[in-house]
Amino acid sequence: MAPERRAPRVLALVVPALPLQRILRTRPSAGPLGVVSEGVVHHANAPALAAGVRPGDSLVQARAACAAMSAEPLDPAADRSALRALAEALMGLAPAVELAPPDALFLDAAGARLAGSDAEASERTLAERVLGICRHMGYQGRVAVADGKAVSLALARHAGRERTRVAPGEGALSLSSLPLEALDLPAEVARWLSAVGIDRVGALAALPAETLAHRFGAAGSAAGRLARGEDSRPLVPFAPETFPHERWDLDGSDVGVLSSTEPLLFAVKRLADRVAARLAGRGLGASRLRLTLFLDPRGEERVDLPLARPGAEAALWLVPLRERLGGLRLPAPVRGLDLAVVEAAEVHAEQLAVGDRPEVARALDVALSRLSARLGDGSIFAAESADRHRPESAYRAGPFRRASADRCAMPGEEAPPSGRPTRLVDPPRPVVALGEGGRLTSLRVEGKARSVLAISGPERLAGEWWSEPFDRDYYRARLEGLGELWIYRDGRDGRLWIHGFFD
Amino acid sequence: MGTATRQQEVLEELRRQIHRIERRPARREGYLASGRPEVDALLPDGGFPRGALSALSGGPASGKTGVALSALREAQAGGALAAYVDGRGELYPPAALALGVDLARLLIVRPERGPPRGARDRDRDRDRGARDGALPGLWAAEVLLASGAFAAVAIDVPLHDLPAARAEAMLRRLRAAAEKGGAAALLLAAPGGPAIPAALRLDLDGARLRPALRAVGGEEDDRGA
Repeated sequence: MAPERRAPRVLALVVPALPLQRILRTRPSAGPLGVVSEGVVHHANAPALAAGVRPGDSLVQARAACAAMSAEPLDPAADRSALRALAEALMGLAPAVELAPPDALFLDAAGARLAGSDAEASERTLAERVLGICRHMGYQGRVAVADGKAVSLALARHAGRERTRVAPGEGALSLSSLPLEALDLPAEVARWLSAVGIDRVGALAALPAETLAHRFGAAGSAAGRLARGEDSRPLVPFAPETFPHERWDLDGSDVGVLSSTEPLLFAVKRLADRVAARLAGRGLGASRLRLTLFLDPRGEERVDLPLARPGAEAALWLVPLRERLGGLRLPAPVRGLDLAVVEAAEVHAEQLAVGDRPEVARALDVALSRLSARLGDGSIFAAESADRHRPESAYRAGPFRRASADRCAMPGEEAPPSGRPTRLVDPPRPVVALGEGGRLTSLRVEGKARSVLAISGPERLAGEWWSEPFDRDYYRARLEGLGELWIYRDGRDGRLWIHGFFD
Repeated sequence: MGTATRQQEVLEELRRQIHRIERRPARREGYLASGRPEVDALLPDGGFPRGALSALSGGPASGKTGVALSALREAQAGGALAAYVDGRGELYPPAALALGVDLARLLIVRPERGPPRGARDRDRDRDRGARDGALPGLWAAEVLLASGAFAAVAIDVPLHDLPAARAEAMLRRLRAAAEKGGAAALLLAAPGGPAIPAALRLDLDGARLRPALRAVGGEEDDRGA
């Protein structure tokens, strides 16, 4: 006989009236407002409730109670996006997050025990962190930690408290006083139970299992198990398919259309905080962002922002964003914003080397972001040696990473060739040489003939016959009034070129 | 009552100062050795001052870049970072490596061709005639110096291409940024350029077989020789 699977410890997060909360995130000081679908009010904000509007009222009834009530359409697609965004932000807290639309999420709370030996304290900490992220994303939520998805969800919805925790094995007891609707039973089962006077979960749990199975089959058996707190269903993890983006339609919100940089930055900051939270939850860091400004009445302006290092810290994004927005000349006010992650990479918590200070690391990140935003990605780099004989190809530009800056040169790494100038001119400059008796006596450099005081060489560098062949004899020449130059005679045509200065 | 109020004000001011200090990298003090005994022997206190601007003046093959790279190598001791603002695009990193510079801890800033992105129209008008690498390079140097994240920053930009007054104003900003961030700022300058508000100027002349070095200390402007 297969062993009975135990119910997993699950944290359920419910966002009450999610459609209304989503709208009020951008309109916190709105007047009476109702979320309406097919002529029926589904949710109403505090001013509307105070005026006598009730969920379930027809729009006509609601307007009769409150003529000033604005009706916002229910938008299930937007609500699903909002729920996914919240799930992304929470992914860093638990091994698995499951969507439970229209307004709930499940988190695997079993991992909370690994954070410390005291399971109760760990689960309470998890609940605090979930509510904190929820608030950061602009929502008020309720959480419950219990055995199984059904129990935790029922308690989160109906316990009447912001936080609920039920010890292992006490799910049935915690459910017993809740109304039947807490179990979200099939309609036929719920109607029959109501008809026979069963209106509490505890009463349903007391019914013999055979009675429910006989009357309703599998649905009845399942209802009985839920009432007894038996729910061993595993979580189905949510896997986001796209990079996060957040949008804010300013027109109609408390902010209204924007024309100047500072208020625009304030609005961008709000989006950046949410996008960063979602990335952090997924263990990702943005390496390129795109900010789209929707202009009033039409048109858009796009700002692409490469970042020096992948990261999920909104404060660091705002530094280069401020640089770019400050230089923009907008032809019209901005009526909406969209901030999207275009490129991202996994980021791992970096171990600071001994002696590192977080404030230095942060200052470096800010400086790199500013330089990258203003001068372009390709303008800042760390050089890496390349195994090429052609001098101008003997190095390549690589990313400058703080973490790799802690790396010391490994034993066995090839030593650079000696006798190279500190400055290389690109392209090489032609030079006219004067000689006597086969000896180079002077060079005409920068319009002036200069005597050759000393010369050493040649060092022959040649190769790359398969692509761009080169054949050069290099010399170090010290010139009067100038110093040491690196010159070469091209083996293909005998011409002399200045390639560098020993400065 | 007055004394208690005054004490409270002092406490609040101390809290604000501590907060400011904790948010910024600690300033570096003292001097940065050049990495060349013959140069250190000429410099007051045996090195380039940290938190200040020093000028290394000389022609294109005078040896000033080698001195700067050696100083950057010294700055990297203990794991610190260094930077080189290469406004001319001429730095040859293999030579830096041969001098012992750790390339992984050397940030190179080489502005791309074209005016700085995001420059406002009026700045563009003032920049008319300026070479591509001068203003972006000076701006980048200011950002790096003020950050406090680098122990030393070498700056090589074509100052001659800027109007003298503009160049001198930008250099004063560099000096202030070095003071703020605590780095040793090393400006590579050609002779005859704009006045440089350097705490110390090292004149190099590599034309002779033995380089002639001359160090001049002082706070005020001193035109290049």
